[in-house]
Amino acid sequence: MDQMTLNVRTAVVRVDGLSRRYGATRALDQVDLTLERGITGLLGPNGAGKTTLLSILATVSEPDAGRVSAFGLDPRDAAERVEIRRRLGYLPQELGYHRHFTVAAFLDYVAILKEITDRRRRAEEVARVLAAVGLEDRARSRIRALSGGMRQRLGIAQALLGSPDLLILDEPTAGLDPEQRLRFRELLSGLPGDPVTVLSTHQADDIAAICPQVVVLLQGQVHFAGTPSELAATAAGRAWAAGERDDRAHLSWRGGDNRWRHIGDHPPAGAELVSPTVEDGYLMLSHAAGGR
Amino acid sequence: MTNSSPGAAGPVAGADGHPGEDLLASYAAGAIDEVAAWSVEAHLTACGRCRSALSAHVDAERLAHNRSVLLVRAAIGDGGRLRRVLRRGGLPDHVLGLVAATPSLRRSWLLSVMGVLAVVAGEAAAVRYGWITAGSPGRIPGYPGQNLAPFLLVGPLLVLAGVAAAFLPMFDPACRLAAAAPFSGFVLLLARSVSALAAALVPVAAAAFLLPGPGWLPVALMLPSLTLCAFALAAATVLPPRAAAVMAAILWAVPALLLAVDDVPLLIVQRNAQFGCAAVLCACAVVLLARRDRFEWGWIR
Amino acid sequence: MRPEAGERDDAALLRAVARGDEDALTALYDRHAGWLTVRLTRRCAMPDVVDHAVQDTFLAVWREAGAYRGGGDVAAFIWGIGVRRLIDAIRRDSGSRWRLPWRAAESEAVVSAEDQVLVGIEHGRLGQALAELSPELRGAIEATVLDGLTCAEAAVLLGVAEGTVKSRCHRARVALRAALAEQQAGPDTKAHRREAWGTS
Repeated sequence: MDQMTLNVRTAVVRVDGLSRRYGATRALDQVDLTLERGITGLLGPNGAGKTTLLSILATVSEPDAGRVSAFGLDPRDAAERVEIRRRLGYLPQELGYHRHFTVAAFLDYVAILKEITDRRRRAEEVARVLAAVGLEDRARSRIRALSGGMRQRLGIAQALLGSPDLLILDEPTAGLDPEQRLRFRELLSGLPGDPVTVLSTHQADDIAAICPQVVVLLQGQVHFAGTPSELAATAAGRAWAAGERDDRAHLSWRGGDNRWRHIGDHPPAGAELVSPTVEDGYLMLSHAAGGR
Repeated sequence: MTNSSPGAAGPVAGADGHPGEDLLASYAAGAIDEVAAWSVEAHLTACGRCRSALSAHVDAERLAHNRSVLLVRAAIGDGGRLRRVLRRGGLPDHVLGLVAATPSLRRSWLLSVMGVLAVVAGEAAAVRYGWITAGSPGRIPGYPGQNLAPFLLVGPLLVLAGVAAAFLPMFDPACRLAAAAPFSGFVLLLARSVSALAAALVPVAAAAFLLPGPGWLPVALMLPSLTLCAFALAAATVLPPRAAAVMAAILWAVPALLLAVDDVPLLIVQRNAQFGCAAVLCACAVVLLARRDRFEWGWIR
Repeated sequence: MRPEAGERDDAALLRAVARGDEDALTALYDRHAGWLTVRLTRRCAMPDVVDHAVQDTFLAVWREAGAYRGGGDVAAFIWGIGVRRLIDAIRRDSGSRWRLPWRAAESEAVVSAEDQVLVGIEHGRLGQALAELSPELRGAIEATVLDGLTCAEAAVLLGVAEGTVKSRCHRARVALRAALAEQQAGPDTKAHRREAWGTS
């Protein structure tokens, strides 16, 4: 297990020894993490514990063991937990909507949950987030009439209500087309107040494009924490491209340029070394952990 | 030519009868005297061309901002007549907004409740008027031939169902958002449950009034219905929520069915039983208040 | 500058709004929000309060466009709503909880009185007499006669007690009568020849 240490002094959210089981499955196993202001990507396959970790950070679930500290506040204390929630924006993985609600009414509802009691202020916040995600024209549409991508954008919009300091997004890019992903990246990089943003994904190219920090979670454990280029560097000297498939390589697949890409210690015959991508590093780690 | 010198109630029209651009700009900036402004305003009330010209002198960003907020407020709406009445009556608007999301307040739910009640009440009426012969369950001394057992079984259960739909996480599609939000989970649950309770008690009480039976029936059912719901909520602080609701339902249904089969006169309306219900209600209320923190964390698995 | 005659005139837009056409509401807003904002700002200097009043006005138009009976100008209809929404917004801002119900019919009746007064201004004599009043008296006249508010509403707008508004109106009327009588008696002594508006 290879873990890079981040500068603890600037850390805003800290996690120590977090563990959580569901029946016999260990969803999280002794996770230690520090998150700073800016965007951190949480990378891992389905079932790796990303959703569990994010729901614990969002104060929705309780851990079995371990401690969480957000802005110096401990969610185990009732008053501090409410204070964390005041600064929180959360997009759960499968957000359900009251399907008969209109877009504006749903956002108004979430704004009330975020303790914005004044009607006019709520309307201003709703207008602001609708403009941020590009759904201004859809304020009166019923949610059941929206496409999947629009619903995802609505989910992101509700998380942005109240300008949170801690933004937790579980698979926010699922269902977005490439142009919408680009808008999403622009949106995240321009958020007021530079919040701590954590987003989870199982796609490495999202990480490479958006996140200055990345954490790799495999089977409930942290296998990497650092920058994307450092992640790519873990596969340095072990990424190859060749004209043919090689069975001895750890992993082998046909890339977009119609050549085979390999990851392994032993270069196949006729292969040339290529500079590794984030995805290569991730697959390397994943294979080493026995996940694939 | 235009004359816009402040302090003079002078002519404000240009040669064509409309105020010129300078005058409009001064008016927009608040830089002309009152009487000249009144003249401009009188003209504006009648002249669309000058109104458009004036708009150019107003901060476009401010107009755009107000426009988008306006459209959002129009989209949100004011929630309908009932909500407006309640708001005038002093209830805070944001609590009303939260309650509006409760499934047991929707028209479809209430119509189903009324449908079930109609079936049950219809059956009791049929027995009363001799269209069908009843067995002897639900016999009340002094009211021969009444069959109230189905109604006694179903009425409080309908109220419980309404409250269950209000507080169970499985009925709230956005329950995870509510769990992660600072608004008190307990207050939310209570507001929804109380409104669902009120909404469910109205048709049940109305059906009890209309049923051919003793006049005290609606009143006698209030307390058991309340107790049942309080029990479900209190149990939810100890058990998983769905189990709590099911347990409450069983605790009512089984005795009601057994008593009906055993042909015991209506037990629940006797004074001892009512006092017993009141005692259980108080105990449940105490448990609920004491353990209300349970609804604030880790309630959603 | 936007063209004055769009595809539909104001009355047609208002009918469309009554049918629930949101684009018509937007068009009506684009035409009328500018002058409404300026005119309300002249009565109340706080921009937040004016913003809320403007939003509330068009929301009221959205909800109650059906109440427009077609008598009187649409702009006057909007102004009648706007000034009352401003009063409400001022009341809210100052913490008072009493709300004023909006009366559609009354605003139209008052508007015609306003027109009559302003026609007097157009011809200059009344205008001059008004100019000679002190600012508080002019303010009281503007609120009660021009804007058509009751003394209670005017009191909120001007930020004074209701009794003060009543006494100022009385003094203003007395002063105006005196000034007009003076003008009537000797127009040449004042030696002001005002040009007409250009409409005569």
